[in-house]
Amino acid sequence: MARVIWRIAPWLSVMAVAAAWELTARSGVVTPFMLPSLSVVVARIWSDAASGELVANLGLTLYRALAGFAIASAVGIPLGILIARSRPVRWFFDPIVSVGFPMPKIAFLPIVTLWLGFHDVSKITMIVFDAIFPIVTATIAGTAAVDREILWSARNLGASDRDLLREIIFPAALPEILTGLQVALPIALIVCIVAEMKMGGVGLGGAMITASRFAESPGVFAGIVEIAIVGYVLVKVMAAARRRLLLWHQEVLAPATV
Amino acid sequence: MAGTSQIVIDQVSHTYRPPRGREVLALQDVSLEVRGQEFIALLGPSGCGKSTLLYLVGGFLPATLGTIRVDGKPVSGPGPDRGIVFQHFALFPWKTVRANVLYGLEKLGLPRAERERRAQAFIDLVGLHGFEESYPSHLSGGMKQRAAIARTLAIDPEILLMDEPFGALDAQTRSLMQSELLGIWQRSPKTVIFVTHDVQEAVYLAERVVVMSARPGHVKAIVDTRFGCSDPSVFKSKAFVDKVDEIWGLVRDEALKAQGNQSP
Repeated sequence: MARVIWRIAPWLSVMAVAAAWELTARSGVVTPFMLPSLSVVVARIWSDAASGELVANLGLTLYRALAGFAIASAVGIPLGILIARSRPVRWFFDPIVSVGFPMPKIAFLPIVTLWLGFHDVSKITMIVFDAIFPIVTATIAGTAAVDREILWSARNLGASDRDLLREIIFPAALPEILTGLQVALPIALIVCIVAEMKMGGVGLGGAMITASRFAESPGVFAGIVEIAIVGYVLVKVMAAARRRLLLWHQEVLAPATV
Repeated sequence: MAGTSQIVIDQVSHTYRPPRGREVLALQDVSLEVRGQEFIALLGPSGCGKSTLLYLVGGFLPATLGTIRVDGKPVSGPGPDRGIVFQHFALFPWKTVRANVLYGLEKLGLPRAERERRAQAFIDLVGLHGFEESYPSHLSGGMKQRAAIARTLAIDPEILLMDEPFGALDAQTRSLMQSELLGIWQRSPKTVIFVTHDVQEAVYLAERVVVMSARPGHVKAIVDTRFGCSDPSVFKSKAFVDKVDEIWGLVRDEALKAQGNQSP
């Protein structure tokens, strides 16, 4: 019984917010334009789904966010390992990472648009630009923390420099690298939506901006709900991937939660 | 090789140069010869550089001055002829026990069947049969060290470097592991350099005990301790107790000096 309660407990807060939304919208305190009721928004999502519009928008947003995330990972993980392992690379990139990480990358959007245009390339570039920083910093931290004795053991057993990077340092740093990826994925989604909202066109963010231009608030709220669901699913998928990849790790063998 | 010197440490000094902070002279003018298939213990107070000396022989750190020769060739880096076992096991936590033991065998380029056979043989030798597919985080300290020893023995090094291998284990496990190590060494003799700060352990295991001074470390005395018997009752014999007392006297002076060094 207690187990069942704990399983549904996380949904209770979501249901409470949904109920409060529905009640507030129906109470007449606010106009439907200020806050359309949840049932109207759900109906809107349903009709978008039926017309195929939702799939088109969702597909494009996911494509951009995941492509940017994939490029940021493919560049960020090797770069992070190199920064941690090589002094010249560290000297060159450390200041860039330190200055670039806290900078609001979205401020570059007008420049990136100017250089690369309105299409996918500029949006994906923005996503890469934003998502790469947590990946690089987490990889640096994970690589630098690899136990000296583990590296020495591998050397002793005959590992070459290349073996060391691929077979020892990468798996040893994987828990921290995955943490970086788990931070970067929501960032990729957020930047994708913001870029779409600034540039317009097809995509969840673009659809929201179009709805807002037509003063059509159910469309805007539908976008918010859709993004929340997409974000939730992506975060859960990443967490599942982490458990799958870290079968050997203490945190999976003996989870800290009761 | 028995009888001749396999490892020749000739006037070796080592200075630690941390990126920040002052340099530390860890070893000064250390000379030592180790015969083939000899079991020697390096004993000294903490911070005396005994582990550093082991890392120099292993080729993990460079000697600042002097040379180390193994089988006549100067040491220039790590190699599978000198296997090492660390105090904190240094197993690959993302690999199972079997995969840990297989790693070095893969690097040797052995055929698959031979690798599997040898890995299983060494897992059985250290008593880990049934735990082949366990990850290190599922094992007790003693079992982790058994796995680490199997991984090192599997590549069949002529020289075994052991850095306080039983220092992290509880007393019962430690004494069990000591007699098992002696058993393994007697069945397939290797040259062993065993770092410890436990006088009893050194006297029980080693044929010669090298007592090192407080930092900067050098060889203070070399004591013959051949009891030639892995029977744990040797601990109670008068000869053994006297030997421990004699060496304990040598180490005690240095431990006091080391404490003096640490106070500001």
